[in-house]
Amino acid sequence: MHDLTPQLVEQVQQARAEQTPLHIVGGNSKSHLGRATQAQPVNVVGHSGIISYNPTELVIRARSGTTIQELQSALAEQQQRLPFEPPHHQGLATIGGTVAANQSGPSRPWFGAVKDSLLGLGLINGYGEAMLFGGQVMKNVAGFDVTRLQTGAMGSLGLITEVSIKVLPQFNANETLVCELNAQAALKQMQAWGNLSMPLSGMCYWQNKLYVRLQGSVAGVEETCKVFSKALPLVVLEADLAQEFWQKVTERELLVAQEKQIMWRWSGPSNAPASALDNTEFINWAGSERWALTTASDATVVNPHVTQYRGGDRSLDVNPSINAHDQALQQRIKHAFDPDGLFNVGRLYSWL
Amino acid sequence: MAALSNSNHRLFMAALAMCLPSSSIIVSQESQRPFECDGLAVYQQLPMVTVLPETLFQVQDVLRLCSEHGVPLVPRGAGTSLCAGAMPHAHGVLLVMTKFDQILHIDQDTASARVQPGVRNLALSEAAAPLGLYYAPDPSSQIACTIGGNVAENSGGVHCLKYGLTVNNLLQVTMVTVAGELVTFGGDGLDEPSMDLLSLVAGSEGLLGVVVEIKVKLLPRAPRVQVLMAAFDNVISAGDAVAALIGQGIIPAGLEMMDHLAIKAAEDFVKVGYPTDAQALLICELDGTDAEVEDQLAAVSACFSDHGSYQIRVAKDAQEAAALWQGRKSAFPAVGSISPDYYCMDGTIPRGQVAHVLTRIRELSQHYGLAVANVFHAGDGNLHPLILFDASIEGQLDQAEALGGDILTLCVDVGGTITGEHGVGLEKMPQMPYQFGDAELAQFRRLKAAFDPSDLLNPGKGIPTLKYCQEYRSLQHA
Repeated sequence: MHDLTPQLVEQVQQARAEQTPLHIVGGNSKSHLGRATQAQPVNVVGHSGIISYNPTELVIRARSGTTIQELQSALAEQQQRLPFEPPHHQGLATIGGTVAANQSGPSRPWFGAVKDSLLGLGLINGYGEAMLFGGQVMKNVAGFDVTRLQTGAMGSLGLITEVSIKVLPQFNANETLVCELNAQAALKQMQAWGNLSMPLSGMCYWQNKLYVRLQGSVAGVEETCKVFSKALPLVVLEADLAQEFWQKVTERELLVAQEKQIMWRWSGPSNAPASALDNTEFINWAGSERWALTTASDATVVNPHVTQYRGGDRSLDVNPSINAHDQALQQRIKHAFDPDGLFNVGRLYSWL
Repeated sequence: MAALSNSNHRLFMAALAMCLPSSSIIVSQESQRPFECDGLAVYQQLPMVTVLPETLFQVQDVLRLCSEHGVPLVPRGAGTSLCAGAMPHAHGVLLVMTKFDQILHIDQDTASARVQPGVRNLALSEAAAPLGLYYAPDPSSQIACTIGGNVAENSGGVHCLKYGLTVNNLLQVTMVTVAGELVTFGGDGLDEPSMDLLSLVAGSEGLLGVVVEIKVKLLPRAPRVQVLMAAFDNVISAGDAVAALIGQGIIPAGLEMMDHLAIKAAEDFVKVGYPTDAQALLICELDGTDAEVEDQLAAVSACFSDHGSYQIRVAKDAQEAAALWQGRKSAFPAVGSISPDYYCMDGTIPRGQVAHVLTRIRELSQHYGLAVANVFHAGDGNLHPLILFDASIEGQLDQAEALGGDILTLCVDVGGTITGEHGVGLEKMPQMPYQFGDAELAQFRRLKAAFDPSDLLNPGKGIPTLKYCQEYRSLQHA
């Protein structure tokens, strides 16, 4: 529960004076993401604590080093939740890292990504200035959306010091339905149901089974269970098994890469065929997120938009290449925030 | 930014005539008159030239030409902006995108649509309706405003409480940069391994590029939609009812509030049966499955009754529901009919501050001697105070602007913002240094320069220069 903003500003200013590149570290739970880089660590994990939480406003504001676990505990006491359902990573994941890495859980297609709940944040730029963008209100269009720009930037634009998030009430009912189906049939079913106005919060395919999670009001979930069960021989998964399953999905631990294996991730159109990504093992987000395992790094040939999520050679680019105009633009944006190239250089892309 | 010299002006116009058919170029003052302002008509300016391109190549050529000659360019959709964001530049090109009005594709499988920027907001929902889909952001101007303009302003609407603003419903945007290059942000999936440039473009007010194609998410029509209206004998109780409802965990599809003056004006204007004796009216829309709506309806009615609502009317059918909404959606023109002029504000505040802010607005209204009607997206805390004035009376416009400025700084003081969904444009430039410090404003300028190094795109709007801020602060200090 400490505000270390002055110390963090000082560290950035010193790094600027000495032209020393920095590697931003929170809970260090996402070291497997992005490219491997060498730089002086700047540790944010001590910069933690909830700054304000007003349940009736549905807004929580916390320092970037606050763990997801701590946030969720505080919210649970008021029967509220983080809408984007981020991974905990053994209790290590921080809210700052979650925003930077843009990590959203199984409910993403229905309750939005990190950016959809993000209302404001604090950022230290490469000039060593602590700035505040956005705020704690639901609608705010004053100035450019520097807040949401940070999601997925992997810390390349600055050091996030605090985050304000819109939260939602917890669900009153929770049910998981399962049915034996092959991948293509499961995808077809996800398409048929995924865009219905029903209390859906998860739909995935794993090991020849379709998993459907319903969360919402008691009446809404019961009603939807009946409707869906008429179409397919669905079985209700026991509550503790269901919780374990979705936790693994959220933590990205369902699919395990063995040594020398590479885990690939692709987010594409939900109606892409099962063959869109070779070696697909797991299909999440009602078809919009596909995961594959290979031993060789040849999946990029199959689909140019795929990310080398975990494993493999991480000195090379792990994200798909983009065109020259976009690349030059991102470099100019990086320069606008970080003119001396201090923050997480080369983590997102080799050229950034 | 200075005007082109006579010879350069001739060169520029000759080059422009090479890029576009003559029917796409408007130079006469008379023909440009309809374009001299947007929805905030108190700010007017004729541009040097107005162009209405028909193809992507023409847009790219116009931008290249402006870059080459250092000519400012202001993009415009239907011109419904309420912040003078689309007001032309005296020495610049006004680029009107209304001929890009094609819905390119509606995909039922992925519930999405690819559209050109000049497609009207309501036209998209109408086209998607046969598939049981609709586009959720629904600003009150939806009959006229374009999706491109919605992207520029990050428009909201009555349904963004549950379904988000434009930024939450965008999947992909293709944009022409000031150099005439094409860039695409977002994609076919639900995220990209990149900084979120798609969200940055939303609400960037035409300062970063010209949007030429947009892919948006569509939503399924809920099996049941229920609208109810609750009347209160004081504004404070209605404000408390809103905070209590959201605090209970009920997020309606829309939750709107009107005060006495707005209720009376709307009822006189459209006659939908609003109780004109009410001091405050809440209009609440619930959607979902039959069982979900039934549950929520009981909870909402109980909550409103507990907070002192003396009359609750649940719409019996779609026709009655539409009528209840029509009153709210007509509130701006209705207020326009009872006053020679009105000035619409757009602050957002924490919901818990509604009662305090409304009380303070009443005091300010008395202080300035100008009536204020309040219409707002209560669920989001997004206020639209409408200041009634008469521009033909010497000094009243200045007074209205001063009152408006005081309301916006009040919103910032209680932890809110100067604009929830209308944008900064030209209008709210004076309040930007009140909401942001020098470091943030300088960062905005550097970000703008990363896209537009010569400050040609919609200059003088959205983000004030440091010089402007210094002058503003010294003025405030004096």
